[in-house]
Formats: sequence, C-alpha cells, structure tokens
Amino acid sequence: MNGDTAKPRVLVVDDETQIRRLLSFTLEDAGYEVRQAGTGQAGLAEVVHSHPDAIILDLGLPDMTGIEVLKRLREWSATPVLILSVFGQEGSKIAGLDAGADDYLTKPFAGGELLARLRALLRRAKPAEVASTVEFGSIKVDLERRRVTKGGEVVKLTAKEYAFLRLLVAHRDRVLTHRQILNDLWGPKAERQTHYLRVFMMRLRRKLEDEPDAPKYFQTESGIGYRLVCDGS
Amino acid sequence: MSRPSSGIDWSPRGSSPLREYLEVLAVIAVVTAAGSFAPLTYHALGHIYLLAVIALCLRVGRGPALFAAVVSAVAWNFVFIPPHLSFTVLDFDDALLLGIYFVVALTAGQLTARIRAQQRAEHRREQRATALFHLTRAMAGARTLDEAVGAAVRQADELFHARTAVLLVGASGELTPHPAGSFPLDEAELTVAASVWRTGREAGRFTGERPGATGLHLPMLRAGVCLGVLVVGLPGEAVLTTVEQRELLEGFAAQIALQVEREQLRVASEREKLLAESDRLHRTLLDSVSHELRTPLAVLRSATENLARDDGARRPHLMAEIRTATSRLDHLVGNLLDQTRLESGAIKPQLDWCDVRDLIAAARRGLGEALAAHPLKTEFPLEMPLFMADAALMEHVLSNLLLNGALHTPEGSPLTVTAGLAGDGGRVFITVADRGPGIPPAMRGQVFQKFHRAGATRTGGLGLGLSIVRGFVLAQGGEVVADDNPGGGARFTVYLPHALHGSVPNE
Repeated sequence: MNGDTAKPRVLVVDDETQIRRLLSFTLEDAGYEVRQAGTGQAGLAEVVHSHPDAIILDLGLPDMTGIEVLKRLREWSATPVLILSVFGQEGSKIAGLDAGADDYLTKPFAGGELLARLRALLRRAKPAEVASTVEFGSIKVDLERRRVTKGGEVVKLTAKEYAFLRLLVAHRDRVLTHRQILNDLWGPKAERQTHYLRVFMMRLRRKLEDEPDAPKYFQTESGIGYRLVCDGS
Repeated sequence: MSRPSSGIDWSPRGSSPLREYLEVLAVIAVVTAAGSFAPLTYHALGHIYLLAVIALCLRVGRGPALFAAVVSAVAWNFVFIPPHLSFTVLDFDDALLLGIYFVVALTAGQLTARIRAQQRAEHRREQRATALFHLTRAMAGARTLDEAVGAAVRQADELFHARTAVLLVGASGELTPHPAGSFPLDEAELTVAASVWRTGREAGRFTGERPGATGLHLPMLRAGVCLGVLVVGLPGEAVLTTVEQRELLEGFAAQIALQVEREQLRVASEREKLLAESDRLHRTLLDSVSHELRTPLAVLRSATENLARDDGARRPHLMAEIRTATSRLDHLVGNLLDQTRLESGAIKPQLDWCDVRDLIAAARRGLGEALAAHPLKTEFPLEMPLFMADAALMEHVLSNLLLNGALHTPEGSPLTVTAGLAGDGGRVFITVADRGPGIPPAMRGQVFQKFHRAGATRTGGLGLGLSIVRGFVLAQGGEVVADDNPGGGARFTVYLPHALHGSVPNE
C-alpha cells in the first residue's frame, strides 16, 4: 500500500481508449494517480504490478467478462472494485456485487458521482478512519452511544431500525444489496424477504428524512439495494 | 345459429309403384262394392268412379293414374252398365258414355298427376333455396375462413344426413383436409380428391369417374380455378337421383369456394396493407432517428468548437448546451435499446416487492434536470401497500411517464403522482397526471403505439416513450390506460396486480 502522503492509485480497466483517457483526466484532476489497462488479462497483471488502492472495472471486456476478472482478483486481493455497466444489466450488476465488487456505476455517469463512489471505497479500505459519529444533513448518528438525533432532537428507533441504520452508516455512500442487508439483519434464511426492507426503509425515512417520499439520504437503487448518501459533493 | 328445418330425403323417390297399383285396385274395389249396395243409377256411379280416380291421382304417380282410369272404366262397364256382369255394351248411348268416361278419367288423371309432380319439384326447389340460404347465412356470420368451413360442414351434415369433408390448398400448396370436416378420408379417398382437384371434374360415388369411392367428390370452382374439393359421404342406402339434389351439392361447393376466394383476397390485401404500413414506419423511423440523433450531435460538435475559441464568457452556456445534448442522446439511445429489448422478447421481469415511493424517488433522481421546470406533487395513502413488480422496469415506466408529462406541458405546469389500491382491491394503481392540453379521446388508442408523436412540430423524441411504458407494464402483468385528468390535462394510470406479502417481524 502507498503511504499517507502519496497520491492514491487507481487502476482503470476498460477497452475503450476514449473512456480511459477521459476517466484519467477526471481522476488526475481529483488528485489520483491513474494506471490503465485495456483487457482483463492486462488489468490483472497491472494489479500485481502496481498494487492500486482501487480498481474501476468495466463489465464488458474483449478477452473475458468483468465478472471473471473480479472472481480471479478476489482469490488473492481485497482491493476495492467499482464496476461500470449499462442499463439493462441489473443481473450482471448484482452478479458483480455478489462476486465481490464494492459498488457499481451505470454508464453514462457524471464525474462527480464517480469521485464520490471512489472516495467511499477508499474510506472503507482504511478502517482507522471509522468515526464514532457520522453526520449527514441535520442527522447525527453516534455509533458509540447508539444515539440518533435529528436537528438536535433525539429520534427513537427500534433495535432493528437502528441495526439497519448502523449497517447503512457503516457502508455509507456505497451500495448495499438487498441480500447483504437481509443476511446481516435477519440471517441467511431471510435473503428473499425483500418486503422486510421496504417496510423498515419506509419507517427509517419517515423518522429521519425531511421529505420521506423524496428521500435525500436513504436512496433506493432500483432492483439492487440501498445507498445512504452522505457525501454531498 | 338457425338450422335447416328438415333434411333432404335421399331414399328412392316416393313410395313403391306396386303399392300405388294395389292402392288403386283397393279404392276401385271399395267403390264398386259400395255401388252394388247403393240405390243409385249406373250414371251416377260413373261420376263417383270419376271422383275416385281424381282423388287417387292426387296421391299416385302417372302409371298408377293411367291404371286407375282403365280399371275404373272396366269395373263400371262390367258391374254396372247393362247387361250386368258382362263387358258387352248394348246401348249406343252407353258405349258413348263409357268412351267419354274413359277419356275424361284419363285426362283428369294425367293432369292431376302432372300438377302433383310440379308441386314436388317446387317443393324441392324451395328446399334447395332454403338450404343455400341457411348455408350462406351461416358462412356470412363466420369471422374467419376456418369458422366458415366449420359452419358449411355442419350445414351439409345436417341437410344431407351425411358426413362431409372439405379439402383446401394449404400454405404448402398441397391439398389438405380441413380439420373441421366430419368425414375421415382414407388414402383412397384422398387420391380421388387429388384427381378432382387436378381435373376440376367431379368424381367418386354416383359419378362416372371412380364410382367405387365412398364419397362424392365435388370440385370447388371459382372462375375455372379449383380452390378445393368438397367430399360428401352419404348414407349407405342413398341413391342420388334428382338433378336438384346434385345441383344443391354443387351449390354448396360453389358457396364454399366463394368464401375461400374472399378469404384469399382478404389475406392478400391485408398483406399489402401491412407492407405499406411497415414501409411507412421504416421511413418515419429513419427520418426521426436521423433527426433525433443528429441534432444533439450537431449541438455537441458546434458547442465544442465554440469552446475551443471561447474566451470564457460563453463557457457556462456552452457547457449547459453540451449537458442537455448528452442527456437527450442518452435518453434516446436508452429508449431505442428498451424498445429493441421489448421486441426481441429479452425482457424477463425480476418481480420483487416494490414501494411506489421508492420507484418515484428513483425515477425523479434519474430524470434530474429534465423535471426541474415542473413542480411534482405526490399523494400516496399512508397505508399504501407494497406490490410485486420489476423495480428497474417500473423506474423506466415512471420516468417515461413523468418525462412525457414534462415534455407536453408548458414550463411551470405541475405534475401529480398518486397511487393506491384500485376499487376491486385486486390491483394497485399509479397515476401520473398533468395540466397540459390533454389527449383527444380519438388519439388515446394510438398514444401507446411506437413512433407515435403528439403533433408534428414538437420534438418529443422518437415517440417510443409510451410504447415502452406499455411494453414494460404488460411484461409485468399490468395494464396502462390514458384518459382525462379531472380538471384538465392528461392522466396515465398504470395498474399492477396486487398481492399480500408475508408478515414482517417487528423486531
């Protein structure tokens, strides 16, 4: 791993030269060091060679699928991976997340969105930074004292609601699939009971969002899962 | 469906002649016996004989009628004209009387018999006309050729007490039995039918050609072309005797042929229409795809060129143009892909519990600035139930409906989304309503067709949005309808099946 002073290093694996080049501009401007690879093989070799802090991986590669790259990578590396896909591939997004990807983006995407996702991934990679309190908007979650306040006033949450919130906070700005959440909160037997999530998410939003019907923080990723958006930039 | 009032009798014509002759003898005998006891002159008895002969002629054929005239004259002469019990006639007057009697009885008898024969022919003609009328009516009521053939077979079966088969030329160009037929054709019958089809001449039973066959094979001719074969399997004892019966069958064959020809013409004209329509669609598609794709591309090119030599003042405007053009392109390509996926049948909905609030929020987020100029109001009941749907598909459905509302209403005009349980409780509904010009009732059926665009001047994309909405909703087992928003504007309602989910553990 790189030292604290060095720039974080990002590997972009995409077969489109233009995309790689433009991503490089965006990332370099944001203070990242960028490596590129045009195929899955080259990408895996580059991971071995340059030890990136995060990987941006396109799902459609000429030599092998992104999912395959991911599976091979996960055999020996825990480097955070952000996958890129297009609409209509909900299935492959979930497959990618199940195969060990940490988040996904649907093309075409905005540069700001990409950087926010990347920041969230790198934060996860540095456990030392886990704070005991997390704030978003007027909401403050004190993980140590299990206290949630909104605009200074204590919000009463049931144990399950709090567990759900804590899970989202721990993975803030990153997607959590339905399966991950159900597994974590109710155990592997409840993996298909998505209506639990709908009901509990509704309760959380009613208690914490200003406009529960147009949530700002507790966002739904259609067909995939949920994301707690704290990174406003 | 009305039925012919009675079948047609195929048994040999009328009762047997022997019976009629015996009947004649019996009647004359009765008259003679009665006359012997009655206190009447032989002159009066002559008139009674005449009456009996005419009455007999109303019942029997020409031969027995002649026989009746002869026998009655002989009986009258032998029994009653003096001298009794002798064929001798003494008086000249009596001889004249007997001669005149014979001529009158003969003439009256023959005339009566002829009238009767005419009456019978008339009856048969009427029967035939009625039968053809029933057939025509049954076939006219049919919506498809298959129904028409089925109706014809049923009519023929009832009318002729027969089993009937219809063979038509299929798509392969081969003569194939229609499934509606009630007469199973074996190899031999099929060979006969094929030869009838080739030659256009009738064959089989009751004909000179292959009379050994079980069925009577009649060609279905239209303008000299044989369109198929009608096979009638008559009951075993049937004897096809009259011209009328043969004509009736031929009438049936011609009637079915007419229907077949009509169907062929209809199919041909339909194909023609389809071709023209698809040609028009292709042209429209090409025109609008090229327009819709090139406009944002032209904007992008021009904006980047301007950016290159810009001193900074116009930069924000140029960037905004680029952003608009890219999102327009993105939306367009997305719709084209969605439509293609729909048409290729690649849509496999992943049904899962959905919350309408989630879907709307996701759709709003996806639309971003496209909705900026339209305030969006949502009204959901507090206990809005969850429902099974594919969240990603529903997000597209709702964003297309919202975008449609935004595109077809003036800036600042509000959009309203409501949802709830439909009246019958079996479905949930989601409505997207606007305060724009609305959709004229005549257009409501068309708005969901692909490449349909409201008005010619608006640049509302390719006209795929609502077609995709309908396709995605149908794929999830739902329905979408367009109507008036009470108070003005258009309203789209998506209905989806509603089911109850299992309980949610509280803690």
